[in-house]
Amino acid sequence: MSAPMEADIAIVGAGPAGMHAALTAARGGARTVLLDEYPEPGGQYYRQLPADFEVADRSRLDPDFTKGDGLLAEVRAAGIALLNEASVWGSFDGGVLEVMHRRRALTVRARRTIVATGAIERPGVFPGWDLPGVMTPGGAQTLVKGQGTLPGERIVLAGSGPFLLPVARTLIQAGRPPLGVYESTHPLDWARHVLRLRGHGDRIAEALDYRRVLSRAGVPIRFRTVVARAEGSGAVERVVLMDCDRQGRPLPGTERLVEADTLCVGFGFVPSVQLTRTLGCRHAYDERRGGWVPVHDDDMQTSVRGVFVAGEVAGIGGAWAAMAEGALAASAALAELGFEVPAPGIEALRRERRHRRAFGALVNELFAPRPGLLDLVTDDTLVCRCEEVNAGAVRAACRPWGGNVNFIKGATRCGMGYCQGRICGPVVEALLAAELGLAPGTVDHFHPRTPIKPVRVSDLASLYND
Amino acid sequence: MIDDAIQPGAEVTLIVDGEPLQARRGQTVAVALLARGRRVLRHTRNGGHPRGLFCAMGVCFDCVMTIDGLQGTRACMTRVEDGMQVSTPLRFEGREQA
Repeated sequence: MSAPMEADIAIVGAGPAGMHAALTAARGGARTVLLDEYPEPGGQYYRQLPADFEVADRSRLDPDFTKGDGLLAEVRAAGIALLNEASVWGSFDGGVLEVMHRRRALTVRARRTIVATGAIERPGVFPGWDLPGVMTPGGAQTLVKGQGTLPGERIVLAGSGPFLLPVARTLIQAGRPPLGVYESTHPLDWARHVLRLRGHGDRIAEALDYRRVLSRAGVPIRFRTVVARAEGSGAVERVVLMDCDRQGRPLPGTERLVEADTLCVGFGFVPSVQLTRTLGCRHAYDERRGGWVPVHDDDMQTSVRGVFVAGEVAGIGGAWAAMAEGALAASAALAELGFEVPAPGIEALRRERRHRRAFGALVNELFAPRPGLLDLVTDDTLVCRCEEVNAGAVRAACRPWGGNVNFIKGATRCGMGYCQGRICGPVVEALLAAELGLAPGTVDHFHPRTPIKPVRVSDLASLYND
Repeated sequence: MIDDAIQPGAEVTLIVDGEPLQARRGQTVAVALLARGRRVLRHTRNGGHPRGLFCAMGVCFDCVMTIDGLQGTRACMTRVEDGMQVSTPLRFEGREQA
């Protein structure tokens, strides 16, 4: 059997949190391994064009493409063992990670592990959300930033939350402004929180800048508007929009049709916690952090000793919180291992993290998914895309099987497919809670099973063949 | 390309369901197909419903195709290679039909 790869600190995920963690760890002198599933590091925030693409003059590119350049160069020069196209599919023993690196199985044994697996978009669920041409806003942005490709001709952007704005901006800069941005909440819902924006001038300036870009491009923003359904034969051709009330409930008689071939609907993000669950970390439900999150201390250490979290996996908080937490988790890990902690040091990072998290919590509160959105999930609406289970089947299982989503999983196959409930999990939780009149977060969550990413048995055999 | 400054890699030829398809190095299989106007990447095994790119970042597994003989390969995460064999089965082949 091939020998494990040894490290002081292993980091899973090379987005803003993971890259800052790796840089800090390497600067402190730790042997550092950084694992990432994509061909280039950066995560979705710093998504890179493929190395095979030629860019004559990077300074001419939109800042979307180049904002990660400096950080990536630092990561590449820091003596970090960076493994791209490496999926962590399980862990059977403390900090030992089982990795599929391209098609070769590999074990990484580290003294400390930092999980920086980011977030998953919370998609819109409505009749027709499985039609080709319906995608997540992040997916559309990834096509532009990571492939230099537009997702379609006539694009509708909808859902809720501040992330819709940078996606709109990306599409505008790429020469294909969306037909409109449809936000299910209303600025009046936010007004009473305005004082909490104090001290976050940089984030407000960013939002105003997006507004300017949108209005200059003539892209309308409509509030209290939801996508009621997508229609088309074989792919999206039409989008039906409706007005909604404060609770997200669509208002009868307000339907209108938009011709579109691409529909991007997202309601923010949920933490990507499959690995922290597999590692045995305790989780708690916190709506202000986007749902289920691993419980951690001030320095990002989870309930499992030696396992830290950083960034969106620890609760939705944005890239700035992620950067601070990556550096903080690595600094704490370095201190535990007896390495010197590089500047700015643990205290300064704790302060920065608290400041950034306060803004993140506010955003999560303002744009929390409204219960009325479930009205769109008619019984014949698909819920589990992998196993093709519709909402009617889920609802029918709720009474007989009771208040735990894992029973619904067993009864309906919901969440048993390739994606392991990453997409449908939060939807099934919401449907079950609503059906039984329970609060969100009281119906458990899907328990991921190893392998948490599909692996081929023939590829696993490479652990023993060399 | 969306920006004049961006040039995709060298031309390669994929074989998609037996037909040649031009693509550029660095593109994913899903994007190579999208560039030719193909949005449907598979049909579901039970309902036979068409599916395309959804998350485009490797999470949802809705874009799985058979690529170089490997079933269940994500078209959004797989970069094109010259001579790569891609098939878009009418029915998902990952498992026996019930």
